Amino acid sequence: MRYENRQAPEGINVTPVHPFKQFAQLLFAAALLVIILVVLLQFFGGWIGKRVPFQYEQALMEQVDISLGSESPPPEMVSYLNGLAQQLSAVMPLPKQMSVNVHYSKEDVFNAFATLGGNLLFYRGLLEQMPNENALAMVMAHEIAHILHRDPMVGLGGGVVSMVSLSMITGQAGFAGSILDKTGFVTGTQFTRHMENEADQAALAALARQYGHVNGADALFEVMRQHTGENKTPDWLERFAATHPLSEDRLDAVSRRAAESGWSLEGDLTPLPARFHDWLKQ
Amino acid sequence: MFEIISFVVLLGCGYLFGRRAEKKHINDIIEREKTFNSLPVIASRYPPENQYYQQQLVAGNVVVASDYFKSFTAGLINIFGGAVAPFEPLLDRGRREAVLRMKEEASKLNADLIFNIKLETTRIATGRTGAIEVLAYGTALIPGSKPAPSTAEAPRAM
Repeated sequence: MRYENRQAPEGINVTPVHPFKQFAQLLFAAALLVIILVVLLQFFGGWIGKRVPFQYEQALMEQVDISLGSESPPPEMVSYLNGLAQQLSAVMPLPKQMSVNVHYSKEDVFNAFATLGGNLLFYRGLLEQMPNENALAMVMAHEIAHILHRDPMVGLGGGVVSMVSLSMITGQAGFAGSILDKTGFVTGTQFTRHMENEADQAALAALARQYGHVNGADALFEVMRQHTGENKTPDWLERFAATHPLSEDRLDAVSRRAAESGWSLEGDLTPLPARFHDWLKQ
Repeated sequence: MFEIISFVVLLGCGYLFGRRAEKKHINDIIEREKTFNSLPVIASRYPPENQYYQQQLVAGNVVVASDYFKSFTAGLINIFGGAVAPFEPLLDRGRREAVLRMKEEASKLNADLIFNIKLETTRIATGRTGAIEVLAYGTALIPGSKPAPSTAEAPRAM
């Protein structure tokens, strides 16, 4: 007697689903989940972050004990930067319980940032490019505005918390995780760009109060645009995925905001201290 | 920008080439299965006792790789749960191909039947590229005449 295996029907071991349809549904659902999560955490984390007293923020910075800037910065530079910060803080105005402390780094980095506890760090690479005090004051006032708006704390509460929570999802997604991470990052940039715009607005107002005009602010964004240079990324994509608004847009915003608020775009520019470039060489 | 383009290209290649390879493989499997259906494979541990057979271990194994599209979709399924449909045809192909290769070996030995078939699966690639190995093995029964009795006890089938 001969036996024979029957031919098994096809498809019995496979879930009948169109791969592309399933992929599209899953990607849409996962991206939506990430966006909702990041938006919620940015809102609530930021909301909580803003309500943490500034003293706690300072105490936190003291505890972690991170030294900002170079070890032995030129004292004249540090005192000049802090002096400018004091003047701008007075016109912002920064509440009494809040204070800023400016640090200087000799590194050739085109950047300046505000961090927890009212600490600002200015790099030599940026200061070298400053054409006058007004442009420098624009950067300084922008960073002080971040402190005033409690952005470093909001960034910690909203940004960091949402990214950590996001990694719990994306860690599960293996291969697809990197794409979801980027979705979360781009969602987060919508919030950071909002912060940057608000800081620009407050900085221009401070500039107008300090110097009586906003001349020099445009020079800063012009320098920044030249520094960034031309790149091949299309504008719409760059606008959508960048943490900061484009220098081009910020430049346009200067004249728009000046017109809206009645600030003069003309006025005498204040030169940088005579020995400013010598301090940079130290 | 470059990342977006490379992602779409990889995904597209994975989808198109992966599906093409899969279809081709399944059609090939179906054809070969029809040829080898006359050599039955049974899972029973007990061989038929109506005839004397020589026994020999036969095995077939195969390594099948996933593609970018499948791995990506499977990653997304990991978030929501549910049947990991993209990997189902992969395993189905692996099992059937391994059984076929085992049958090919048994056929060369002029076997009538393979009994006590077992299947084993191992993931052999970690990280981003997924690949599985499927091993099928069983005992082939080859018709033969009973050897002359000897003093030593003849090996017995399990």
